Amino acid sequence: MSNTIKSGNSKLGGVFKQTEFTLAAIIILLFIIASVFTNNFFSLYNITNLTKQCAIVGVLAVAQTMIIITGGIDISCGAIAGLSCMVMALLQRDTGTNFWITLLIAVAVGIFCGFINGVIIYDLKVPPMIATLGVQTIVSGVVKIISNALTVSGLDQRILDMGNMSFFGVLPALALIWFIVAVAIFLVLKYLVFGRSLYIIGSGVEVAKLSGIKVRKMFYSVYAFAGLLYGIAGIMLAARVQSALPTGGEGYEMNAIAAAVIGGASLSGGRGSIVGTVLGTILMMLINNAGVQFGLNTHVLELTSGVLIVFAVAADMFKNRKKA
Amino acid sequence: MQDTILKIEHISKFYPGVTALNDVSFEIKKGEVRALCGENGAGKSTLIKCIMGVEKPDEGKISMNYDGKWIVNTSALEAQEHGVYANYQNVNIAPDLSIAENYFLGRQPTKGGIVDWRGMTEESKKIIDKFGMNIDPNEKIRDLPIAMQAMVTISKISVNDDIRIVIFDEPTALLENEKVETLFKFIKELKEKGVSIIYISHRMEEIMDICDSVTVLKDGTYVDTKPISEVDKDSLITMMVGRKMSDIYNIKHQSFDEEVLRVENFSDTKHFKDVSFSLKKGEILGFFGLVGAGRSEVMKALFGAEKRLSGDVYVHGEKKKITSPTDAMKNGICFLTEDRRADGLALQLSIKTNINMNSYDMISKNGVISLSKEQKRAEKFSKDVNVKTPSVQQLVGNLSGGNQQKVVIAKLLCRDPEVMIFDEPTVGVDVGAKEEIYKIMESLTAQGKSIILISSYLPEVMGLSDRLIVMSQGRITGQFESNELKLLREEDVLRSASMEG
Repeated sequence: MSNTIKSGNSKLGGVFKQTEFTLAAIIILLFIIASVFTNNFFSLYNITNLTKQCAIVGVLAVAQTMIIITGGIDISCGAIAGLSCMVMALLQRDTGTNFWITLLIAVAVGIFCGFINGVIIYDLKVPPMIATLGVQTIVSGVVKIISNALTVSGLDQRILDMGNMSFFGVLPALALIWFIVAVAIFLVLKYLVFGRSLYIIGSGVEVAKLSGIKVRKMFYSVYAFAGLLYGIAGIMLAARVQSALPTGGEGYEMNAIAAAVIGGASLSGGRGSIVGTVLGTILMMLINNAGVQFGLNTHVLELTSGVLIVFAVAADMFKNRKKA
Repeated sequence: MQDTILKIEHISKFYPGVTALNDVSFEIKKGEVRALCGENGAGKSTLIKCIMGVEKPDEGKISMNYDGKWIVNTSALEAQEHGVYANYQNVNIAPDLSIAENYFLGRQPTKGGIVDWRGMTEESKKIIDKFGMNIDPNEKIRDLPIAMQAMVTISKISVNDDIRIVIFDEPTALLENEKVETLFKFIKELKEKGVSIIYISHRMEEIMDICDSVTVLKDGTYVDTKPISEVDKDSLITMMVGRKMSDIYNIKHQSFDEEVLRVENFSDTKHFKDVSFSLKKGEILGFFGLVGAGRSEVMKALFGAEKRLSGDVYVHGEKKKITSPTDAMKNGICFLTEDRRADGLALQLSIKTNINMNSYDMISKNGVISLSKEQKRAEKFSKDVNVKTPSVQQLVGNLSGGNQQKVVIAKLLCRDPEVMIFDEPTVGVDVGAKEEIYKIMESLTAQGKSIILISSYLPEVMGLSDRLIVMSQGRITGQFESNELKLLREEDVLRSASMEG
């Protein structure tokens, strides 16, 4: 009876909010369990550390959410952040470039790489997964070439300070940046025509075209905009590690994608929310952090994250199936 | 011949909040062609799913006489093993495989364990010829027009050896007349072999033509079963909707003289050539043609969604440059696409988003949407076209075909267009919703809006249009003025439609 109105108010809308509610409940539960049963979890040091751990993945996940909403995926996010980080570090160590200019260049590198993603995906018609996998590999190569595969230290003092700075002793600067980015993108999705267009494109490119949405421009912009956020994540990465690693950002893409999907973003496009993604990020990181406090092997934790991802995607597909 | 083959006993099926089927019982005999009628939401699709074993009824039993033994099919696979096949409403074939591969999906002929490609192609060619399709068996489904895809799914049934029951769900919704004849021939052939047919269609004429008897469902309950000789179009509709509807095409027409739109010498590389026409204020201009005649392509070019080689568009006598849907909409032209599920609607988004989808520029400033305006407009326009829903937050995918189509119309109305192009607006829509859509068209023309109506369903396009243009092979081959239309016979139109372009 697919063609009858389902009971009550938007049933899927309900499930959608339910995802966020469920996530919040699990997070609180885990938090309490970890606080009660371990000695070190509920300490100021650990909690601020946890938010710092979340921050970089969190920014990438927010960017990823925009892309997943369009029905795409971006595997190159970690690598691009790594490149932004490395370019900035090299400029700061080896040249006398103005500090603020180095930050701008880091962000510009991200925008440029994202734009390239958009061109490959829209104009060359390469599926997002493959296009961004290619770009990821290229970018990782570039990072190693320009750094001679060596760690670059000697960053500007302001970057080093940013990594250690906390407001009121509890809110790390990195976490603050994450929150600002999340709130900004939340507003973009809710209030801007740009945000609404992402959902429409994710529901069907043809539908979007016929509705007068300039799809090509949208593809360029969303990938470039995501690239901008990767640039910011790159700067945060430098601040957190206090140097630029030739492998910087590697592996972040899986956590970012997982956070978005656990938060309810649908890999088939048209669905996703920033609140969900933020909660998804916290849950992923909380499992790792609490797991370590419980003395669990990190490899076991990696395995747990994998299982979580598979379940989240399966749940999404189940929802889609029920709808069809 | 008169043995019962299918027994449906006290079937009920409940979904959260909806009783899809309520204590439905009837029987079907061997070699019988049974029409299943009812509005959208009457429970036809659910009943079919139960017969096919795809859904399990919550109460009751559906059993099948399999060589004298009564069996119950509990899965689609089991049903197929017992010779029960269904041709579903939405084309369901593998789009990236060839026609031949689709025919033999899961049952490829082999030679020594290796797929016998040549044999498969030859066998497929035979089927294609039999159904008069004139296509290459190695062509991919994706590259075929949708009508041809529908034909492939229908002809696919004939590949099976042991066919006992075949269910056709709206098989003609996407077909042009000539192919409908082919389908009917196939049904008659099946019937002669003793196959029982369940035939679902919104088109009364077809049911009168080929069915032996008809069962009517209404709101999930069984109404009646009658031999076809005892019913006529009106009494059937009365059984379905519970009221009499003598002529649903009877709408009020406007008088008009002012020209709003003129298209001159539209040509593209292969779909249409030298097409010119004009549209007056308050007019319904019908476009008829067989599939491949190029009607939709012309309209898509007019809307700026497809490229054209040459040709000009004049709006109120002024030449306009229209090369994108945005240009078209800015000039007051809106387009309702043929395939609403693929091109017209974002199914997993809300009614609200869908209605506002092509007019965000009108309710935003510097790219910032006014959420209150968005909500208000969604409520107003969904009410204007009478979308049946508890709220505009409802996802469009959850609506019935008729209500989905009304959402598309509401979306067009949002732009307050002067010219609306309706490409097959009533495909897959039940009688009640059809009538509502016609009423909407009536009130739109009364407000001075002009409508271009493309339809492959002759009674509809002849009944509603003020003027009728017929296309064949990319050219205009016939034009009928309003005074001619009343006396026009379907044969005359069909003759123009099958003229060499």
